[in-house]
Amino acid sequence: MKKKEALLAGLVILVAVMIFAARFMVKHHPPPGDLRGKSAPEFTLKTLEGKTVKLADYRGQAVLVNFWATWCHPCKIEMPWFVELQKHYGPQGFQVLGIAMDDASPEDIGKFAKEMGVNYPVLLGTESVGNEYGGVQFLPTTYFVDREGKIVSRIYGLKSRSDIEDDVKTALGTQKAKN
Amino acid sequence: MILPIEDCYSEPCEESLPSKRCGVAIGIPHFVRNDKGGCMRLTTWLNKMGLGVLLIASLAQAQEIASGPSVKLLSAPPLTVTRGKPASSTLRFRVAEGYHINSNKPKGEFLIPTALKLNAPTDLIVSRVTYPVGQEMAFEFSPAEPLSVYSGTFEVTVMVRPLVSVLPGKYTMRGNLRYQACDNRACYPPKNLPVEYSVKVEKAAVVKSHRRTAQSPHVHR
Repeated sequence: MKKKEALLAGLVILVAVMIFAARFMVKHHPPPGDLRGKSAPEFTLKTLEGKTVKLADYRGQAVLVNFWATWCHPCKIEMPWFVELQKHYGPQGFQVLGIAMDDASPEDIGKFAKEMGVNYPVLLGTESVGNEYGGVQFLPTTYFVDREGKIVSRIYGLKSRSDIEDDVKTALGTQKAKN
Repeated sequence: MILPIEDCYSEPCEESLPSKRCGVAIGIPHFVRNDKGGCMRLTTWLNKMGLGVLLIASLAQAQEIASGPSVKLLSAPPLTVTRGKPASSTLRFRVAEGYHINSNKPKGEFLIPTALKLNAPTDLIVSRVTYPVGQEMAFEFSPAEPLSVYSGTFEVTVMVRPLVSVLPGKYTMRGNLRYQACDNRACYPPKNLPVEYSVKVEKAAVVKSHRRTAQSPHVHR
């Protein structure tokens, strides 16, 4: 009988651990593959205006690569922050690149970007580029690339403006990376 | 003092009995008070309370949380309708815990509304789909911009009107619930949930008319 009770207790504990683990995973968005410290995957994408943009074009600058979509409300919240950061840190060699990952037409994406007052290039994303960056399973997903083209930080989901700004400073080399 | 297990059966439970007098195993008391005021083995009590069901439900919940943002069709009861007369069925859905989806009328031009698209068989007309009003929810970093969302369970009512000409029998309604889910920090690509339920069409009940006696076409005054 004692065996049975121990088994029962074990089962209860197992279920509790599984629920806790599942909640933890959901809350903290486990990275699909940590790219920090690695070279940022190269990409060549079209802008809304049809111009071709390569990540390599920005070598020597700190780059914020933001994956977003028109249907993503948290993305909409952080876009005005990117506009401000572009204005403030642009002269120091900082560039924001927004990669739109939705099925909306380029016209709709352009309309949305215009409404948001976007002052940085908006690129039309592809699945293959998303895959190179770990799958981009949810939005927003943001990578911070330093002047040498190395990923120094990433943010999954929405975080505060100050968290994003800290990562911009890290990419610029004016602040040490936070662990 | 810890009583031998067998003694607990004959002992009436006191307030402190399960932990103080009947002993504990890994923090769980062996015995609990039963409805007759006596003691009952905890395992027996748990069995009575449907431990199996509880465990399965817990495991399902853990799996649901880990599987990410999903919406499930909880129930779509079969509908019985009479030819020519509209009738409605209520479909119940559940959004996985920790997530929300846009309501049918989201607050934003670019947000994707939750929408049920049904392909009705010929001669069955989907005359109306009614969605619940969304709950207002704001993101932590944007409290001034509330969204209109569904979370937990919600119901969609579908009104079906079979044409008078439709043949009585069983039909299947098939379609998709399109939704786009988010949690409190991120959003996930739009998805389609297959929806299917049956509709049984019956003939209209024959109304028995009173037998009329033959009358002269002439009016007698």
